[in-house]
Amino acid sequence: MVSFEEIEHTADWAFRVTGRELGDLLENAARAMQALDGVAPNGEPSATREIEAQGIDRESLLVNWLNEILFLEQTHQLVCERFHIYELNDYRLRARVETRECQESQTHIKAATFHNLKVRETSEGLEAEVVLDV
Amino acid sequence: MLSKQEFVRVADNIWEIPPTFRDDMRVPARVYADEQLLDAALGDNSVVQLVNTATLPGVVRHAIAMPDIHQGYGFPIGGVVATRLPDGVVSPGGVGYDINCGVRLLASVMTADEIEPYLEDIASSVYANCPSGVGSHGHLRVTNSELDKVLHEGSRWMLAKGYASREDLDRTEECGRVPGADASFVSDHARERGRNQLGTLGAGNHFIEVDKVAEVYDQPTAARLGIFSGNVAVQIHCGSRGLGHQVCEDYVSRFQKAVQDYGIILPDRELVCAPLDSHEGQEYFHAMACAANFAFANRQLLTHMIRHSFEQVLAGKIKDFQLHQVYDVAHNMAKVEEHEVDGRRFRVCVHRKGSTRAFGPGSSVLPEDLRDIGQPVLIPGSMGTASYVLIGTTEAMQQTFGSTCHGAGRLMSRAKARKMVRGTELRDQLRNRGILICAGLLSALAEESPVAYKDVSRVVEVVHKLGIGRKVARLEPVAVIKG
Repeated sequence: MVSFEEIEHTADWAFRVTGRELGDLLENAARAMQALDGVAPNGEPSATREIEAQGIDRESLLVNWLNEILFLEQTHQLVCERFHIYELNDYRLRARVETRECQESQTHIKAATFHNLKVRETSEGLEAEVVLDV
Repeated sequence: MLSKQEFVRVADNIWEIPPTFRDDMRVPARVYADEQLLDAALGDNSVVQLVNTATLPGVVRHAIAMPDIHQGYGFPIGGVVATRLPDGVVSPGGVGYDINCGVRLLASVMTADEIEPYLEDIASSVYANCPSGVGSHGHLRVTNSELDKVLHEGSRWMLAKGYASREDLDRTEECGRVPGADASFVSDHARERGRNQLGTLGAGNHFIEVDKVAEVYDQPTAARLGIFSGNVAVQIHCGSRGLGHQVCEDYVSRFQKAVQDYGIILPDRELVCAPLDSHEGQEYFHAMACAANFAFANRQLLTHMIRHSFEQVLAGKIKDFQLHQVYDVAHNMAKVEEHEVDGRRFRVCVHRKGSTRAFGPGSSVLPEDLRDIGQPVLIPGSMGTASYVLIGTTEAMQQTFGSTCHGAGRLMSRAKARKMVRGTELRDQLRNRGILICAGLLSALAEESPVAYKDVSRVVEVVHKLGIGRKVARLEPVAVIKG
């Protein structure tokens, strides 16, 4: 189960995502974006890809991470199936992702945005609301 | 969300939120709308987003929203914000991810009745020749050095390659080439995303539409633009594809740090900005110009492919099937322009985010043959509804930094539209109304259903009454090609 829910937005897509800690939040947000984008793995497993993202805080790390995943999807037609985040702090992450070729996405996500973005601490971990430009 | 009580009605169809409304506002926020469209704007967070833009450093006169305003991310869609140079800011989010998304209109001497028997073949040919969908690849592959030239030269490169005529360039904003482009500020990611996308339509609300000129409101102006009642016209709505999206992503991300360095405090991080005369501001401007040129080149190549499609189908059947360019205009762009504010002229950086430049008669940047009538303004409606050709006005120069609306404006979320409308039913309904649809994904078609949008005729009526864009002609669709 992916921990996210879609939020109403007039023009774009938005979702609320949770995670026990930052790594979970990042992984769940990536899965949420891929689910909203409607990408379905249907091709051959592809080579494992390295993703590196940096930011000035958790929020910018989250946005930059999502945009790296979007880049893989839109430029190489790859959907991420498994995530191994092996280096992580609030400013930098390195991950190995197992990918599979995918069909063209159903929606047209241009980018993950910073709009009203805040990674909040909750009693169960972390939560964020992400708006995607469609 | 805000209520109507917060507004002062300063004139018919002009509503203002004074700067006393919030401590961080530097100028008033104005909405140009009739009462019904204002109510629609108050249905989501778009007016709060407009107020947020009134806090940008260097903002002058008013933060402005057009009647098609709706909620975006950071800036509202339908927003116009001008900042005073040299130290006023430029905001990548104020241009948006689809840099130089815009509309091109081609007109002809063919009548809609004449092409009716061939319409299905024309639509199929256009659909085949103009790849659509998110990651679609175009027929034209460019090397790295050719891509540099596209980024620097825009439509001019297309002219050199035989995909454009001199007349096409004359009838394109900035002649299809924004000055200041420097490809060294465009990332490898951006280049990779855009490299194979020249001549592609993309997805979302982008489209190619074959139209009939249904009504002409201003005969002399329409005749000057080559627009005649009953004739065929073609609209292209798209932008800079993945390349532009990535340029915006790169700089919104980089500017997160820049705002800290310049001590700029903002109500929303998507509004990040930097003084235009700073090195960050300049670098974004160079990269944005590249993406804008890519978009002009993209619409130019699509134009070439559409002309080719008409020729494929109509050669030998119709005497004159040529499509001449009426105009090509951006509605997501930041530009350095000179405007008069409080009786003084100075240079400003005008952000138009879902707003169209609408320069009036006499503007020196217009092609000579249009200078006495003003700039053509192209306002596409939602799928299956009317579109409008307007002309820029002196009032727009005086009131809105030479800007007007850009379309119908969304009213309903994509998720809700998908729940309410089935793509197949919508396609059949439009077909019954005589509108042919060629679309890749029917679920995506449902998102663009007319019920999800405001009434474009109402939006256009407001700008016409306000004088910030004058009606010239109305177009009705006969075939729509979408991703």
